[in-house]
Amino acid sequence: MPVLKQLPHRRMEAWKWTDVRRAVQESDPGLLQEATPKISDLEDWDGFKKPYAGPAGDGCRLSMFHTDGTWRISVNEHTDLKKPLEITYAQPGHSSLEVNIDDGHSLILIEHYNCSEKGFSNIDIDIDLGEESELTRIIIHNDDSDHTRLQTSRIFAQNGAKLNQYMLSFGGGMSRLETRLYGEGEGIIAHMNGAYLLSGNRHADLTSFTKLDHPNCLIRQSVKGVVTDKAKGVFQGKFHVERDAQHTDAEMRHDALMLSDRAEIRSKPELEIYADDVACAHGNTIGALDDNALFYMRQRGIPMAQAKALLTEAFVASVFDDMEDDAMKASLMTQISEWLETSYGV
Amino acid sequence: MLKINNLHAVVGEAQSQILNGISLEVPAGEVHAIMGPNGSGKSTLSYVLTGRDGYEVTEGTVELGGENLLEMEAEERAAKGLFLSFQYPLEIPGVPTMTFLKTALNAQRKARGEEEMGAPEFLKKARALAKELKIKPEMLKRPLNVGFSGGEKKRMEIFQMMMLEPSFIVMDETDSGLDVDALRIVADGVNSLRSPDRGFLIITHYQRLLDYIVPDQVHVLSAGKIAASGDADLAKTLEKEGYDKYAA
Repeated sequence: MPVLKQLPHRRMEAWKWTDVRRAVQESDPGLLQEATPKISDLEDWDGFKKPYAGPAGDGCRLSMFHTDGTWRISVNEHTDLKKPLEITYAQPGHSSLEVNIDDGHSLILIEHYNCSEKGFSNIDIDIDLGEESELTRIIIHNDDSDHTRLQTSRIFAQNGAKLNQYMLSFGGGMSRLETRLYGEGEGIIAHMNGAYLLSGNRHADLTSFTKLDHPNCLIRQSVKGVVTDKAKGVFQGKFHVERDAQHTDAEMRHDALMLSDRAEIRSKPELEIYADDVACAHGNTIGALDDNALFYMRQRGIPMAQAKALLTEAFVASVFDDMEDDAMKASLMTQISEWLETSYGV
Repeated sequence: MLKINNLHAVVGEAQSQILNGISLEVPAGEVHAIMGPNGSGKSTLSYVLTGRDGYEVTEGTVELGGENLLEMEAEERAAKGLFLSFQYPLEIPGVPTMTFLKTALNAQRKARGEEEMGAPEFLKKARALAKELKIKPEMLKRPLNVGFSGGEKKRMEIFQMMMLEPSFIVMDETDSGLDVDALRIVADGVNSLRSPDRGFLIITHYQRLLDYIVPDQVHVLSAGKIAASGDADLAKTLEKEGYDKYAA
């Protein structure tokens, strides 16, 4: 099948605001090739590239058609290293990754998506979270404004597993970062926060799907967006709570600032609930900076651009408030400040 | 110091005429009060002076220290030393009070071509003033005015005023929402700033504040114009007789 036909497009409901097929041309670098990720200290994690058992066919993930194997990382009693695993995807192309965290072990995974050239990238990730295991995942995305990026993670969580995910996206030409969390056990705790800051003609789509099949899970999700110029932000979030997932406590928020008339935000928070004893909520706001607050700040001598930057930074920062790693948090905040300085001309 | 001459202004998209030719001069070292009934243009005057968007001057001039204020942006006016104590101070979520104030102070200094104030000097000054105004140190770490009571917000305005040391201060209904103790703290703060090179314009509905901050002159604003001027006794007469005499 020609690769363009394999790409999602706007007539598919889940992709109506992120028309990948239209953004990609057959000549785009990376479309038909494999990309090699840069993985820190691969051997320390028993990391290797595992060949596929058979040829790709119907139902296979896109990366399988264009790669000859999947990178595999294991966290177990030998490799629970208490240091972050850092993976950088800077080349156009396809790549596949599997991470397996054994029962009771933990991992800090830092993913960088920063391709500085025109092209196409598609990264498929599968993560298995064993019982009582813990994953802290930090995702930083900043591609070239002519780069198209798909990144789809499936996370399978067993009893008592814990996920802390922080995503910061400055977008790309067209991009979709998708997290699919499958609760396969009881008492799963997941915090999934993110922010997107987009200028120029950039596009970022933060989509998530959380499916819970078992009781007593706690989910907190907060995504903040800032769009200016002609940029486009997309948020789609869904909680799917099955009949057996009683006492689910799940909250989803998306709040965005639209700072120019030509910027665009598309948002779709969804709940699909079959259990009768749950607390599930979602909220969604889109607004502008508060003129009264801006005047107040200017009256105190803070120039307009700086006042806007301060208010925006405060708005976005809250999604990273509970990060445990102060150095990492500071690094994210620095990147946000730099974006604000450039975009607002501070 | 502050010279307002024949000031006319309209507000909002409807272009409603609110100020109808105010003329007023506040020399350095003096405190002038502006009193007037609701809707007389008191708050509009404070916003026109400080350069808020949506308030358009159609006629007249305003000078501060010989410079044309009306040509400056709001932040430039602040850097020139103009300070407004707001009737309803804004809450600024997510921006700690100290960060806000240090940013403001150093932005003003930068605009004036002065050296920025370093963190140790700033902290020392802030702590000392907070103590004087009975502001708890933990309040300075919290986002500005978020969750503060009406009285705390007004005290925070005085704190900012004392930190920024402006040369001309406009106070818009600073006494509203204050109990007697808070009023005294605020008044003490203001009185401590009175000096030969600083001017004040105190906008108030009631005479009460003027018992604590005694003005050099009192002006009555009615229908966007100064209807009468006099010494501090005028305020007492107004308190007794009301504004009916000056109604448009």
